[in-house]
Amino acid sequence: MANEARTISKRDVAGWLAALMRRAEVIAPVAAHGGDVAFAAISSPEQVVFDFQNSLHPPKQFVLPQTDPLVVIRRNGNGIELEPVRDAHPRVIFNLRSCDARSLAFLYRMHASDLPDGAYLARAENVTLVSLACTVPCELGFCTCCDAGPFLKEGTDVQLTDLGEHLLAEPGTDKGLAMLSEAGDLFRPARPDEERRRLELEEAAKRAFGAETCHFASAMRRVSTGRVPEELWGTMSDWCLECGGCNFVCPTCYCFSVKDMKQDGSWVRCRTWDSCQYQAFTLEASGHNPRERRADRIKRRFFHKVSAQYYLRDGTVGCVGCGRCVRVCLGTTDMPAVVEAIRKGAWNG
Amino acid sequence: MDNLFLPRLARIALVRDETPDTKTFGLRFRDPVDQRDFRFLPGQFLELSVFGFGEAPFCFASSPTRPELVEVTVRRTGQLTDALHTLGPGDEVGLRGPCGNGFDLPSAQGKDLLFIGGGIGLPPLRGLIWNVLDERERFGRVTIMYGAKTPADLVYKDELQEWAARGDVELLVTVDRSNNGWTGNVGMVPTLFDKTELRPKTTLSYVCGPPVMIKFVVQDLLMRGFADDAIISTLERMMQCGVGKCNHCAIGHRYVCRDGPVFTFRQIKELVE
Amino acid sequence: MDSVLTTCPFCACGCSLYVQASNGRPTGVAPSENHPVSRGRLCARGWNAHEAPAWGDRLTRPLVRRGGRLEPTSWENALELARASLTTLIEAGKDVGVLGSARATNEENYLAVRLARGALRTGSVDSFLRATYQPLVDGIVAVANGRAPAGTLADVEASDFILVLEGDLANTHPQAAHAVIKAVKAGARLVTVGCARTQLARLAALHLPALPGERGFLVAGLVAAAVAEPEPAGSPERPLPGFEALRGSVAALPVSEQLRQVARWLAQATRAGILVGPDGGPPERLVREGTAIATLAAVTGHLGRPGSALLPLPARGNLRGACEMGVMPHLLPGTIPLTEATAGARLARVWGRAPASALGLTAAGMPGRVAGLVVHAEDVPAVAPTGQDVLEALGQTECLVVLDAFLTPTARAAHVVLPVASFAEGEGTITSLEGRVQRVRPAARPPGEARHGWRALSELSAALGLPFPYRSANDVLREIGEVVPAYAAVADGTRDEAWGTFTSPPSDDREPTLRPLAADRVVAALPAVLALEGVFDWGSDPLVSLSPTLCRDHVSRRKLYPQGLVQMSRRDADGLGVRHGWSVRLASAHGEVALPIVLCNELEPGVLLVPYAFRERVAGVLGGRSEVPVTAEKVQ
Ligand SMILES: Cc1cc2nc3c(=O)[nH]c(=O)nc-3n(C[C@H](O)[C@H](O)[C@H](O)COP(=O)(O)OP(=O)(O)OC[C@H]3O[C@@H](n4cnc5c(N)ncnc54)[C@H](O)[C@@H]3O)c2cc1C
Ligand code: SF4
Ligand code: SF4
Ligand code: FES
Repeated sequence: MANEARTISKRDVAGWLAALMRRAEVIAPVAAHGGDVAFAAISSPEQVVFDFQNSLHPPKQFVLPQTDPLVVIRRNGNGIELEPVRDAHPRVIFNLRSCDARSLAFLYRMHASDLPDGAYLARAENVTLVSLACTVPCELGFCTCCDAGPFLKEGTDVQLTDLGEHLLAEPGTDKGLAMLSEAGDLFRPARPDEERRRLELEEAAKRAFGAETCHFASAMRRVSTGRVPEELWGTMSDWCLECGGCNFVCPTCYCFSVKDMKQDGSWVRCRTWDSCQYQAFTLEASGHNPRERRADRIKRRFFHKVSAQYYLRDGTVGCVGCGRCVRVCLGTTDMPAVVEAIRKGAWNG
Repeated sequence: MDNLFLPRLARIALVRDETPDTKTFGLRFRDPVDQRDFRFLPGQFLELSVFGFGEAPFCFASSPTRPELVEVTVRRTGQLTDALHTLGPGDEVGLRGPCGNGFDLPSAQGKDLLFIGGGIGLPPLRGLIWNVLDERERFGRVTIMYGAKTPADLVYKDELQEWAARGDVELLVTVDRSNNGWTGNVGMVPTLFDKTELRPKTTLSYVCGPPVMIKFVVQDLLMRGFADDAIISTLERMMQCGVGKCNHCAIGHRYVCRDGPVFTFRQIKELVE
Repeated sequence: MDSVLTTCPFCACGCSLYVQASNGRPTGVAPSENHPVSRGRLCARGWNAHEAPAWGDRLTRPLVRRGGRLEPTSWENALELARASLTTLIEAGKDVGVLGSARATNEENYLAVRLARGALRTGSVDSFLRATYQPLVDGIVAVANGRAPAGTLADVEASDFILVLEGDLANTHPQAAHAVIKAVKAGARLVTVGCARTQLARLAALHLPALPGERGFLVAGLVAAAVAEPEPAGSPERPLPGFEALRGSVAALPVSEQLRQVARWLAQATRAGILVGPDGGPPERLVREGTAIATLAAVTGHLGRPGSALLPLPARGNLRGACEMGVMPHLLPGTIPLTEATAGARLARVWGRAPASALGLTAAGMPGRVAGLVVHAEDVPAVAPTGQDVLEALGQTECLVVLDAFLTPTARAAHVVLPVASFAEGEGTITSLEGRVQRVRPAARPPGEARHGWRALSELSAALGLPFPYRSANDVLREIGEVVPAYAAVADGTRDEAWGTFTSPPSDDREPTLRPLAADRVVAALPAVLALEGVFDWGSDPLVSLSPTLCRDHVSRRKLYPQGLVQMSRRDADGLGVRHGWSVRLASAHGEVALPIVLCNELEPGVLLVPYAFRERVAGVLGGRSEVPVTAEKVQ
C-alpha cells in the first residue's frame, strides 16, 4: 500500500487528532511528571508529544491492563450470576514506536493462536495503531536485530514519518487506509520527493544503529540446544534482584494469574500480570516448586523468549528490541547482557 | 468470540468424605443443555471456580461413560480447597473445561492395562478405570495397584471393595504404615510388583501419584522391561488458565495444560525444564 | 485510567512510582524514569504496590465493639466513644499511650505525637520499629555531631568502596542493593559483614563473617586495624579530638589480616559508601554499634566527606520520618530533648497547649501496661518483638482505638476502629533513608466512609479537647516545618513538580568527636548461637500479606512450616546427622524447643537463624534476648 502514502501538514495534526478523538479513545505519549513520558488517553490534541524517548512503560497496558477484568460474579439469592466482560471500546494508539507496534502484533498472535482468547481479542481488534517511525535510533534499542524497526513494513495500521514540516502517512492495512480516507482533505497524496526522503531517512536510521546489536541467532541456537552451562545461569542469577520489571515492561510478555477481586458485594475475576521471575510463579500448593532456584527462572525466561517462542509458536523471537529491560533492570541481567553472556559463555557482571 | 475464562455454573449434587482431608464432589451443570452436551476424556481436567476464591485445576475423577454427574476428588491444601470443603449439596460452583489432552484409550484397545496410583493420585485413574470397566471387553488383563500412607488415607474405599470382588480385575493395595485392623500389604507401591506377574511387552501402565512415587515406580517399570512409550503418567504443574495462555505450566516447548497433563515417559524425558 | 505519581509505601529507599487507577480503584503501577532514586527501577514490592489497597480487606466504616462484636457506626459515635473511654481512663489516673507507625506519613506521625503529648497529655508515644533504627542513629550522631545519616544511594552507586553491614539488602532494601550491584559492576570493591553469605556477599571482594549481635564488635576491630596503621592514609590532617583515648580503647582487640586489608581499602577509597542494615538487640548495644561505625568512617576520613555516604537503613518505609516527627518516648519532634525549653515553648505556641514533657513508655512497654491505647496504621503483632503473643497483652487494654485502612488483627481486637485511607488514596509526605521528603498523592478515593489519616487523627484530638486548624495534609506539613527545624523548607519544596526535598541539615561544622569504644562480644560460648533473622517480617505487613502476588511465598512458608523452622548450615546439619525437614531440639539456659530445619548454604556454621516471622516459636529459648548460645540435637 506504499503508493497510497499521504502527507499532512504538522499544523493540521491537531485537527486530525480531534477528529479521531470524536470516534475513539486516543492514546498517545504525553509528558508526565518531571520529564517522564507515558502513554495515556489524551483529552486534547496538544498533549501528544512527537519528539520523545520511548516511554519506559509500554502501551501494551491498553490491550492487556495490569489488572484486567474478565468476568463479573454476582450473588443472586442462593445462586450465582456470571457476566463476561467484553471491552470493545474503539481506541487509537497514536505515535507508538515501531517496536511497540510490532509487539502488539506479536501479542495478538499469541492470544489468537491455539484457543483464541476472546476477551483479549475484543479489545485488540478495536485498536488502531498509528505508529511513528524512528528516524533517530533510541539510546538502548536494538530493534534492527529483531526485525521490529526502526521503520515497519507491516504490523501497523498507519506509519507516520516525520519529514520536518509534514508527516508522511503510509497505510499498512485496510483499516489504516480507511482511517486516512476519513480524514478527508487534511491529507494530500505524498509527492515523489517526500517518498524518497522517507526512504533516505530509513536508510540513515538503520546506518545509525551501527554494529551495536544483540545477536539472537547464535544465542538462540545455544539456548535451545541446552548448550549454556548451568553454572552460567547460576552466576547470572546473583545479578538479578527478582523484581519482575523485565516482564512488566516487556511489550511482548503476557504471563498472568487469575483471581477474584471483591468489589461492592460482588467479585470480579481478573487476569493480573505475573512474572516468571517470581519464585511463586511455579509454586504448587504442596510447596513443591520445580523452579525454586532463581537460576532456573532466568534460564526459563530466556528459553521462552529466544527459543520456545521462536520455534513453536511464532517464528520470531519474543523480543522486539525496545531496550526497556535494560532501562528497568534492578540488577544487570537484561536481554542484551544475557544474550552476550550466552554467546561468550561467560558473564562479566 | 468466546470469553475463554467464563465458567459454566454447576451445583454440587453430592459430597462424599474419602479421608479426613479429602472429599469427592459430584457436580451437575445448572443448565441441562450444558449437562447433556458436556464431553470429556479420562485424564483431562477442569478448572473449578469457588466464587470469591478463584479457580483451581482438578482431574475428572469420574468416567465419561457415567455422564449423570461430573466428579472431582479434592484434597484440602489451601484457600480454595478449604473453601470448597465447606460447601455442600445445592451450592453453586463454576466449571471450565474440559482442559488438557486426556488418556488415549483407543490406542489401548486389546492391551493389558496396569494402573498404579499413589495417595491422591488415584482420582484421575478412577475415571479411566471405570471407563475401562464399562467397556471391559475391549481390553486385556486389568491390574490396579494402589498405595497410601495409612489405611485411613485410602480413597474410594467402597469401590476398592467392589473392584476386589470383580473377577475381571486384579486389585493390589498397600499402605506405607499399617495400624491395627489392617490385614493387607504394608510397604511402598513398588513392593507390589513382586506380588503379581507382569507382561511388559503387551501392557500399558498408567502411573499417577506424588512425584517421588512416580520416580521410583517408573524406575522399576523400566527395569522390568516396560518401554518408554508404555509408561503413561500425568504431570502436575502450577496452573492458572488451563488454556495455554498464562505460561505458568510451561515446560520446555510444551504447556502441561494443553499438551498434557498426560504424557508418556518418552515425552517426559524430552522435556527440558 | 488515571495515573498519579506517588512514593513507594514499602521500604525506605524512597522510590517513586505512578499508581494507576480506573473507576476509583488502583489497578497498576508504572515506573518513573526520571525519578532520581528509582530511575525507572522498582523491586517486586513496588511493582505490585497497587494490589493491597485494591484486593485487601478494606475498612470502609467506623466500627465499635458492642457485646464482643465490632459493629458499624457513624464517625460521630465512634469518636465520641473513643473520647469518653479515654477520658474516663485518664481521669481515673490510668496510663494511656499512642503508637505511630513507619507505615504512616510524616503528617500522621506528627499528629500522633500531638495527640499523645498535646491531647492525651502523655509521653507514651512510640513505634515498634524505632528500636531497630534510632539507637544506631544516636550512636552515629554521638560521633558525627551533625546530622547522622549522610549521602545518597546515588553516592553509593558512584563509590569505589562499599561496606555493607547486612541485613539482606536484596530483600530488605532492593534499591540500595541495586546501587551496590551497579557500583560493583563498575569496579567498586564490596565488603559485606554478617552471619549469612547473602546475595550481595556473593558479589563481594571479601565477606567478613560476624556472629549475630557482633557486628559492632567486628567494626570495632576494623577501627583497631585502621588506627594501628602507622599513618592512616586519607585520615584527617590533625588527629581528631579523642583519638588517643580511642586508640587505647581498641588496642587490645585482635586484628586479623583481613580486617587490616579492609581498613586499608576503606582508608584508600576516594568515595566510600557504608550501608548499615537494621539490627536487633538491646538499644545500648546498637548505640555502641552506631558509635563504632561512625568512628570507623571518621578515622578513615569518610565521615562528612562529600561523595562518601553513611546510611543506616530503616527497616520499613517511613521509619526515619516517624522518628523525626517525634514518635519517641524520650524526644520531642525534631529529635529534641524533652527538657529543651525553646522547643517546648514552640510546640506550646503552635498547639496552643504545652506538650507533656514526661518520659513515656516505649512501644514494647505499652501493651498490657496502658489502659488506653491509640494505634495508628500499625498491626501490633506484625511488628512487636513478641509477635503473636502480644495479642494477649493487647486484649487487656480497656480502650483500644485503631486507625487503619485494613482489617488487621489489631483492628479486630479494637474497641473503636476508624477507617482511614491507604497509601493509594492518602496524602502527605514520607521521608526516605536518604532524608528525602516526598509526597504521597491520592490516586484513588478512600473507600466508603474512610477518611484521610491526618484528618481522622485531628478529629480524635479535637474530640479530646485539642482543636485543629488544618484543612489539608499540607497545612500539617507547614506546621511541622515550624517545629521540626530540618523540615522548615520542606513544605513548599515538595510541591508538585519537584521530586521531593531533602531535610536540611542544621548548619553544623563541628568536627567529629571520637570516643573510646566499648566492644561487646555477645556470645562466647559455642557450639551454636541461635538468633532471629532480621528485625522485620514483610510477610506480616498488610501491604504484602494483602497483595495476592506478594503474599505467595510467605503464605506458602507458613503453610509448610506451621510450627516454624530453623535455618542451619549443611555442616551443622551433617554434624547432627539431620537432613532438610527433620527436627532438632534447641536448648538454651532459658528454655527449649523442637523445630524442623531448613538447610541454608548461606549460613556460617554455628549460626542458627529463625526467620523473624516465627519469633514466637523461640521466645522461650531466647528468653528476651536477641541471640543466645544453644545446644542442638536431633529429635529421634
Ligand atoms: C492438572 C491438575 C490436576 C489436579 N487434580 C487434582 C485433583 O484431582 N485433586 C486434588 O486434590 N488436587 C488436584 N490438583 C492440585 C490442585 O489444583 C491444588 O491442590 C489446588 O490448586 C490447591 O488450591 P488451593 O487454593 O487450595 O491452595 P493454595 O495453596 O491456597 O493456592 C494455590 C494456588 O495455586 C493454584 N494452583 C494451580 N495449579 C496448582 C498446582 N498444580 N498445585 C498447587 N497450586 C496450584 C491454585 O489455583 C491456587 O490459586 C491438580 C492439579 C493439576 C495441575
Ligand atoms: S528486571 Fe532485572 S532484576 Fe528484575 S527480575 Fe528482571 S532480570 Fe531480575
Ligand atoms: S526498593 Fe523499596 S522503595 Fe523501591 S520499590 Fe522496592 S520497596 Fe519500594
Ligand atoms: S495453565 Fe496457563 S498456560 Fe497452562
